[in-house]
Amino acid sequence: MAYTIRKPLTDRFLNAWGILVFMYLFLPIAVIVAYSFNNGKVLANFQEFGFNAYVSGLENDVIVATVFTSLQAAVGSAIVATIFGTLGGVALAQAKRGVWWAVGLTVALGATLFTPEIVDGIAFLPWFVTLGVDWGLTPFNDGMVRLIVSHAMFSMAVVTFIIRARLAGMNRQLEEAAADLGANVWRRFRDITLPIAAPGIFAGALMSFTLSLDNTILSSFVQLPGSTPWPVYIFAAVKVALRPEIAAISTLMFLLTLIALGVCALALRKTGGSSTEIIKTMAG
Amino acid sequence: MSEPSPINVLAPNHKVDTITRRAALAGFGVLGLGALTACGRNTTMAASPPVDGTIESKLNLYTWGDYDSPDLLGKFRDDFDVLLQVDSYGSNEELIAKLSSSRGTSGYDVVVPTGSQIDRFAGHDLLQPLDLSLIPNFSHMDPNFTDQEFDPGNKYTICKAWGTTGYAYRTDVISREMNSWQDFIDAAGDEASGRTSLLSDPWELTAISLATLGYSLNTTDDKELEEAKKIIIDEIAPHVRAYFGSASTGMIQGSFDLMQSYNGDARQGFNEVENPDDWEYVFPTPSANLWMDCWAIATGAPHPDAAHEFINFMISPENSMPQIEYIGYPIGVKGSEKKARKAKFDNIDLIFPDQKVLDRLEASIFNEGMAARVDILTEAKRRSGAA
Amino acid sequence: MIPLRNRVFGPAALSFPTWAYVVFFFIIPVAMVIFFSFGYKPDIYTAVATDTLSFDRFPEAMTPAFMSTFFATLRISLLGTFLCLLIALPFAYWIAVKIAPARRSLALALVMVPFWTNFLVRTLGWQIILSPTGFFSEGLLALGLTQERIDILYTHTAVQIGVVYNYLPLMILPLFVAIDRSGTKLREASYDLGANKVKTFFKVTLPMAMPGVISGCLLVFIPLNGDYITATVLGGASGSMIGQLIAEQFNSAQNWALGSAMAVVLIAATVIVVGVGFALLKIGQLIAAKANSIPISNGRV
Repeated sequence: MAYTIRKPLTDRFLNAWGILVFMYLFLPIAVIVAYSFNNGKVLANFQEFGFNAYVSGLENDVIVATVFTSLQAAVGSAIVATIFGTLGGVALAQAKRGVWWAVGLTVALGATLFTPEIVDGIAFLPWFVTLGVDWGLTPFNDGMVRLIVSHAMFSMAVVTFIIRARLAGMNRQLEEAAADLGANVWRRFRDITLPIAAPGIFAGALMSFTLSLDNTILSSFVQLPGSTPWPVYIFAAVKVALRPEIAAISTLMFLLTLIALGVCALALRKTGGSSTEIIKTMAG
Repeated sequence: MSEPSPINVLAPNHKVDTITRRAALAGFGVLGLGALTACGRNTTMAASPPVDGTIESKLNLYTWGDYDSPDLLGKFRDDFDVLLQVDSYGSNEELIAKLSSSRGTSGYDVVVPTGSQIDRFAGHDLLQPLDLSLIPNFSHMDPNFTDQEFDPGNKYTICKAWGTTGYAYRTDVISREMNSWQDFIDAAGDEASGRTSLLSDPWELTAISLATLGYSLNTTDDKELEEAKKIIIDEIAPHVRAYFGSASTGMIQGSFDLMQSYNGDARQGFNEVENPDDWEYVFPTPSANLWMDCWAIATGAPHPDAAHEFINFMISPENSMPQIEYIGYPIGVKGSEKKARKAKFDNIDLIFPDQKVLDRLEASIFNEGMAARVDILTEAKRRSGAA
Repeated sequence: MIPLRNRVFGPAALSFPTWAYVVFFFIIPVAMVIFFSFGYKPDIYTAVATDTLSFDRFPEAMTPAFMSTFFATLRISLLGTFLCLLIALPFAYWIAVKIAPARRSLALALVMVPFWTNFLVRTLGWQIILSPTGFFSEGLLALGLTQERIDILYTHTAVQIGVVYNYLPLMILPLFVAIDRSGTKLREASYDLGANKVKTFFKVTLPMAMPGVISGCLLVFIPLNGDYITATVLGGASGSMIGQLIAEQFNSAQNWALGSAMAVVLIAATVIVVGVGFALLKIGQLIAAKANSIPISNGRV
């Protein structure tokens, strides 16, 4: 008897806990969505319901430009980080235990995770100036290039480690068998390694996209006018006055992301991948 | 190598030469970074294209947050078909860091340094001289605000806005009469304890206690600064909840009863709070800061024609009214106070302080006492954090 | 022997682009910053000079102001990590074990959703929630649940709430993966052997979830320790974090040498805390292993 009473009790506790945590996770987002319909002048001061913030936000060239900058930088850095991270991850997974270059790369990438973002920021700015102005590598005078390069560095470790973890359990014999059958390096990579790594690559790309979209500190150091990303715009506004437009545009971006994720999930289902699998891969 | 280095760009010119050479020598050898260091220190400021009479299609403005009427900025965009991008900073140091470390490639055209700091900017090639012939509206400026000591003949700058510092308080919490900085200190330690905010500015913070002690607000005397520090750390800091750059948000959120604030920022707060009658603003005795922010054009500005046109646009008599109404500070255009009083702007006494008030103000100077003031701010923040 | 071709295109060569990127865009620029930490600030106009190198900046960095903020930050991040773990553990268990497999990916996606809205925007949401004139405070007042307006914005508590919120998904996900991986079979076996739920959780599920606990704690603790955005938005004087002090040295005080030294101290502290954490874990496991070496068949424990 005691057993049957206790069972629903723990279950009920877990259910309540789960729902509470979900509420906690969504509370501030709900607040931002609600306050995006604030027709007042100041975000925190809700005056009357309306869509003014959406209209003026979308009409504001600067806001729209920052959102596009953010999206471009996120796509760009996801591509760069995924390419370099995949190469690194595959290399690490195939490396013999304890080889100097593999240990070194792991430590160096680990260090990028341990370094406070602010240090990356202050390190990048003079470096980009040196590259762009003194060495004449003019692409580095371009704000978008700077954002992409620095964001990609920031998420490369994550991509590399996700892919290494993904490939860690991979059966090396498959590759060896393929080699015995005469498959060259490229074919083995394309036909064996890549399909196994695919969920990891996808998860890594998604992860670096997200990290880039979120990045504030690093961006505020390396950005140039004309390529101000959205979070930097908001952070500047935090120090003075927050207007409801910020909530309105955030709500729109939130909806767009949800739609994009939905589409991704559908596409994955079609190709046979599982979204749980992707999330699992992302998480570790 | 005789050019100022990016890092040393703020050093007095005569010093730079020795610093860079020695630094570059030390740099070779250490951590194998020699080549890097040397290159990092080779610094010419990128030059601006010449003014050619055609307004460019873009303009980048780098200024203090929320410091221009959005309607006016929109009007400028429409009238001149210029894509105007505005970024903001929170201190002159941030602006210096941005301009000097990017050495003329920051991409910013128009910047807004504070008058007391113009020496630091102009002396190190961060600003380029204005061509006043491209700014005909300069003739509408009030002579009281042109040809200032920090920029004789308006070679680099034109007044953008000026104001002073005081405090706002909740009359329903602090019922006594408030007039001086001493009253501020007393209220902070009493009714408003734990609900007081200060400006996150070393000079402004130190000025509170220097004023009550009767010393010059710009003092460089170690003993006077030490006395001022004691008052701040022991009597004010323990009661402070936060240090802000701008008071208006804090007033709206309702977390504070006493806030040190610039007059125009407080006015923005007054216009937004639900209960403006519960708030009062004080221009405190015996003295406070009189500051002036200035329009200037950054060295290497990629759009110099648009930049001159923009400054001309912002100081035109017809645009001065919406600008003053929005930011809550006078902008130095002749006759604007009369017009503003006629138009009955909200809380107009916060925009234009009395002559009596103006007479007792002291303009801030950037001098060698600054390091001590920065220490006071750091120590005060620590004391507040421990409370 | 490995054929030559394989050696040329072997993993070492494959890692070359990543290596180059890391060296060029991380090691060199960050080494410059570390180099700066041995320099000094010669006068108020100059950010850093490196003509004489010394370790002087390190003791200078460790002023009482720095140290008190430093320990406050450590407290916020350690407590934050612990709270995240406390909240996430039952939650991850709930998703992995109690939610029907068909709905599991939806639940996981929901956990990820806050992650896909901007970090700053979420924190601003909290600013609105916690402000005394905000709807939350008004609502509580209206419902008669409190007499006073809640007044925790710009305090230590606000920062703590904000950081736990911001980093919670990073704890939930690895925990979920670990618990999910441990599988139902082992738990059922444990029940079959007569262990009750609590005992099964502590003796089977939790040890199996340990890798998830570790990676979750790392994922939360490391960025949290260097975070300064949450504190800037939600914290007042008492909620300030070390990242803000470092940023201040670079942005306003213009003392790159001191700022770099502080940053080096922060990195070192992060590494040390993680190291100590691992050491404690190892000791704990050794003790647990000793305890477990008593055969379970002995029955009562």
